[in-house]
Amino acid sequence: MHIFKRAALAATIAALCSSDSWADTIKVGVIAEFSGPFAMYGKQYREAVETYVAKHGTQAGEHTIEFIYKDVGGSNPDVAKTLAQELLIREEVDYLAGFTFTPNALAVAPLIDQSETPTVIFNAATSSINKGSQYFLRTSYTLPQVTAPLADWTFDQGIKTVVTAVSDYGPGIDAEKAFKAAFEKKGGKVVDAIRMPVATTDFTPFIQRVRSQNPNAVFAFLPGGPPTFGFTKTYNENGLAKSGIRFLGTAETEESNLQALGDAAIGLTTAFHYSAAHDSDVAREFNKAIKDKFPNAITNWASVGAYDGTHLIYEMVKAAGSDGPKALEAVKALKWESPRGPVEMDPQTRTVKQNVYIRGVERDTVSGLLVNREKGVIATVGDLGWTQ
Amino acid sequence: MARVPFLAEAVMLACAVAAFYVFPYDLALITRFLVMILFVLSLDLVLGYAGIATLGHAALYGTGAYAAGLFAVHVSGDPLTGLAVGAGAGALLAFASGLLLMRSHGLTLLMLSIAVTLICQEIANKARDVTGGADGLRGIRMEPVLGIFKFDFIGRTGYWYALAVVVACYAVLKIATLSPLGLSARGIKDSAARMVAIGSPVYWRLVTVYTISGAIAGIAGALAAQVTQLVSLEVYAFNLSAEALIMLVLGGAGRLYGAVIGVVIFMTVHHVAAAVDPFNWLFIIGALILSVVFLVPSGVLGIPAAISDLFRRGNDAARP
Repeated sequence: MHIFKRAALAATIAALCSSDSWADTIKVGVIAEFSGPFAMYGKQYREAVETYVAKHGTQAGEHTIEFIYKDVGGSNPDVAKTLAQELLIREEVDYLAGFTFTPNALAVAPLIDQSETPTVIFNAATSSINKGSQYFLRTSYTLPQVTAPLADWTFDQGIKTVVTAVSDYGPGIDAEKAFKAAFEKKGGKVVDAIRMPVATTDFTPFIQRVRSQNPNAVFAFLPGGPPTFGFTKTYNENGLAKSGIRFLGTAETEESNLQALGDAAIGLTTAFHYSAAHDSDVAREFNKAIKDKFPNAITNWASVGAYDGTHLIYEMVKAAGSDGPKALEAVKALKWESPRGPVEMDPQTRTVKQNVYIRGVERDTVSGLLVNREKGVIATVGDLGWTQ
Repeated sequence: MARVPFLAEAVMLACAVAAFYVFPYDLALITRFLVMILFVLSLDLVLGYAGIATLGHAALYGTGAYAAGLFAVHVSGDPLTGLAVGAGAGALLAFASGLLLMRSHGLTLLMLSIAVTLICQEIANKARDVTGGADGLRGIRMEPVLGIFKFDFIGRTGYWYALAVVVACYAVLKIATLSPLGLSARGIKDSAARMVAIGSPVYWRLVTVYTISGAIAGIAGALAAQVTQLVSLEVYAFNLSAEALIMLVLGGAGRLYGAVIGVVIFMTVHHVAAAVDPFNWLFIIGALILSVVFLVPSGVLGIPAAISDLFRRGNDAARP
């Protein structure tokens, strides 16, 4: 059988050449959403990957890197697994990347374990994914990683009572639990936990319920787009901000949504690992590079996850070529300066350790656009959900 | 057509066996074809034969998938028992929901069938401790088929296993459609009123057909769960029901091999288009569906008839 021959050949080559002294092409398969309602993710990833490639060339060490994009269309574990098999068997890729949704990443875990393929997760934020295979690396974040520091910070600001209002789906419930656990550990009190249907557009009853409890703040978790828009608008219209109930969130004010939120967003407080307005040379360079290549591009957390993920892949290829275990070993404690700030890999959780920033939405005086202005920083937070 | 018995079936089986050798690197993909074929076959039984228009067939598929997945996680990793559990779960849901659904027709039935799917999806979403919710049900580890054939990385075992299941189910469906039950289902499709008049218990016939279809859809779901080793909420997606319907219409409803052809064409175009241009391939799918609806409403198998029709009309027009 053809495959046996290839496998035998590969094994022989691997045995003979333990040093990677010959130049070759290393293929990276990117499994993400390039069509349908979640195509934004694929677009952000691709822009970031291509910007990185344009800046650093296709050469990593002695190897040439080639990216192959595959469309998974959304949360589709069947398709994700088939695409991964196709990439590994037919295209013979040495690295996988992408993965927006948790089930898609989980579906490929048994495959990458068998083929020893380092797989870089650009987004999927459920903490336990990385326990599924030791070949998972994550350059995005996990929900507890940003939510728990926000809860601590909130308490330190003198906010003692909070109502949580989350969309009723997996990530929303995870966020609610993480916030509650961290906040009550500090001594604060979550007076009410509201779960709102994912598809709802009328938030008035929920906002009224928050108001009637009269807490110091409301912690919200909503999927991007219309729900966030509706919630923040209702929050302002009902005068919660004026009556001193602060808004606390995480990804609600992310950059691709931010301008659409309009003035209603000004003053919202969020804790997150990336702001496009991050004040550093690397961040400005990143924004400029991506805008030079794609004039309409907006950088957000998905872009930076893919950009850093590409960096990680380049470093692995430089160090180990196509040798998966060796590549993993080479970057397991890698540190670098990312457009989001300083980051490093955590050898245990294989998720990036990074700063979590407390930001407020402001209108930038120069550009006139809304930005997430960083007001405070909680330094080098690892994946706090790992031990739960 | 020539009167060779089971000619279409023999050709299809030969193609399936040949595919194993021609596309050795795409076995995972072809296995997904097979799962989809099984699912569309089950839809063909209710829509093509009994004329029950449903957009909620994913409820039966998804329930089979979750049942087989949970069985593998908590009880046993034996694939064949898992299939039986999936079939049982699909049939049970089909029977229970069929008692209500088969009392309605047309749009009401369509809406109710969608509602059943949504209820199932919400239950799976809420019962996170059991199903894993939006993260998916994980931890499915399959034992070797019949204790001999281990599931391998390339998907060879998965392919033969799926093919065997599809062939067996096809045979069952073939027998069912040729049986008195199948014939009365066709009668009900053509005229339910007359079937009542000749004394056929229309309601119970429909419930029976729906339950059989539920078992087959449940097997398809179970097969998907076993091959992917993960079940997510997407098994209840409306999209799945709708795509199955499109594939069935494309191939031509009311013939079992029509379901097979529809799936193969749709998924091949889907795969090739997505591989060639992963960013804009939906346009191709859109064009395919539009052209089917406008040009060959009776499916690909209706093309020869449509062409001869065109010529006849052409001749008629030429005549003064």
